[in-house]
Amino acid sequence: MSDRRRVLVVEDEMMVAMLVEDMILELGYDVVGPAMTLESGLALARDEPLDGAILDVNLGHGARTTPIAEVLKSRGVPFMFATGYGSNALIEGFRDAPVLKKPFSMKEFTQALERLIK
Amino acid sequence: MAIASFQPEGEKGGSPFQAIAAMAQSALDAMPCAVCLCGSDGVILRYNRRAIQLWDRRPRLDAPEDRFCGSSRLYHLDGRHLPHAETPMAHVLRTGLPVGDIDVVIERPDGSRVVALCDIEPLLDARGSVEGAINCFRDITARKGREQKPGANDESRVVPLMHAFEATSQLAIMRDIAPRKDDEGALRESERRFKDFLDALPTAIYTTDASGRITFFNEAAVEFWGHRPEVGISEWCGSWRLFNPDGTPLPHDQCPMALALKEDRSIRNVEAIAERPDGTRVPFMPYPTPLHDASGALVGGVNMLIDISFHKDAAARQRLLINELNHRVKNTLATVQSVVSQTLHGTSDLRQARDDVENRLLNLARAHDILTAENWEGADLLGIAEAALAGHDADGLRHEIDGPTVRLTPKTALALSLALQELCANAVSYGALSGQSGKVSLSWSVDDTSEARRLKLLWCETGGPMVIASERRGLGFRLIERGLTRELGGEAKITFSASGVVCSIDVGLSSSAR
Repeated sequence: MSDRRRVLVVEDEMMVAMLVEDMILELGYDVVGPAMTLESGLALARDEPLDGAILDVNLGHGARTTPIAEVLKSRGVPFMFATGYGSNALIEGFRDAPVLKKPFSMKEFTQALERLIK
Repeated sequence: MAIASFQPEGEKGGSPFQAIAAMAQSALDAMPCAVCLCGSDGVILRYNRRAIQLWDRRPRLDAPEDRFCGSSRLYHLDGRHLPHAETPMAHVLRTGLPVGDIDVVIERPDGSRVVALCDIEPLLDARGSVEGAINCFRDITARKGREQKPGANDESRVVPLMHAFEATSQLAIMRDIAPRKDDEGALRESERRFKDFLDALPTAIYTTDASGRITFFNEAAVEFWGHRPEVGISEWCGSWRLFNPDGTPLPHDQCPMALALKEDRSIRNVEAIAERPDGTRVPFMPYPTPLHDASGALVGGVNMLIDISFHKDAAARQRLLINELNHRVKNTLATVQSVVSQTLHGTSDLRQARDDVENRLLNLARAHDILTAENWEGADLLGIAEAALAGHDADGLRHEIDGPTVRLTPKTALALSLALQELCANAVSYGALSGQSGKVSLSWSVDDTSEARRLKLLWCETGGPMVIASERRGLGFRLIERGLTRELGGEAKITFSASGVVCSIDVGLSSSAR
């Protein structure tokens, strides 16, 4: 296992997941995932060594990433949400978690991620 | 009956009484109403043809047994017997004051009854003494019948009027009321029609008096309130319970109707919530409006309650849709950002990159079209496959599609669509469709032997030039090999054989797509 920081990505939109993956790799971190379903995301959140996570809010069919966030919170892994909803779409139970609004620039993403796992 | 003007002032000769008593019978018979002349003691002195018709008898003249009226028997309108000595004629002879517009019921010898409207004028001599009186009366039975059948309610209205001529002080009033009484039936009919009309309206309407007591409500109001308030007792609004739009209780005496009456002004553009006894709530907009009499004094109010649940629901749906639309647009923009970013990544050929970006965005648009046509509920694999291949081989001579009907979820449909478009684009640029002779075969099968159904898809190019593995392993193949497998939870494998590109895709089928 390398000593690079490991960032979990949970995102159900294939193209967006690939974009986030590229951005994380470009920052010199390792990508865990991307997970595109709640089940795979939960498994990675429980079992993988992690330094941070970026979670889409809705995974389709009404599934939300909040259970994954719960696991990360209990493990003390910092995470942020990425959503296409406005910034007022606060996530119940995680009102203090940072929210990145889609679409986001490389610069915004870099700043947010570095604040998260510095 | 303007008998009072019968005698022009200063006319010489006898008194009006004497003049009428001396009138030719033919002149009396020519009068357009029944006429009966009585002497001061009530004896009948003259009558005409129409009087005979009304009474259906010929009373004896100057006979003590037929005094005051020629009819055999008289009744009040309410059916009580009216002795001849208490008739309006007897009253006029006693008081010397005229009586007008009085209804009496005449019973004929055969028992049939008619209603007569009487106008009786006293006839005075030069000294002002009562010499007699003349009664002009008409049959109004038909009109009465039209008004309404006699009923319990009529008595209370009619009795005081009929008794009135026994008291001189009330006669003036009676003369005013009596003509109005003729209109009462018509008024009641009009009221009934108005009530029917209000009940037929689908909108809740009610009225109150000036103090806010409910005086009327229509059936739509009963439905709206979910119960029947008590007329004359319930105040301000018939709602079971009222709430402000923010959900706080709204006391009835502070409701918009109460404000409208207390402040004597119409109230508009306010909302409230009514709760029915069964607990259901209706958001509504009231239109309380004060009512005034001719002098401008407040006499009550009318209120119309408009159920605005439909508008509220529509507004909520619209907010939800706008939110959802915003979400989708943002996600789509993120996808576009991804397409552009990944197409440009590590490329130096900007012209090629521009074409690739353009093609991929158009692919994305086509996939959205298919899903939109299906209301974003899913799509058939065949439609996705045909849309992808037809774009590059319109006449269908160089591709074959074979597989059972498979219903895909929107996500799977979108992912497969993009994957197939990438394979097509590659085939056109470098593979089987780049030359003149190559072909593409796309086939699939569904494996439902295990609990989780799986779709096995095979893209097979033949007859094209040799494709070198390292050539253009850009976004297209990355999308298939990595993105697609992750998104759909399966495997994808691309091989470059001597005969052309072969791509096998094995993905799970969600049971939610039907």
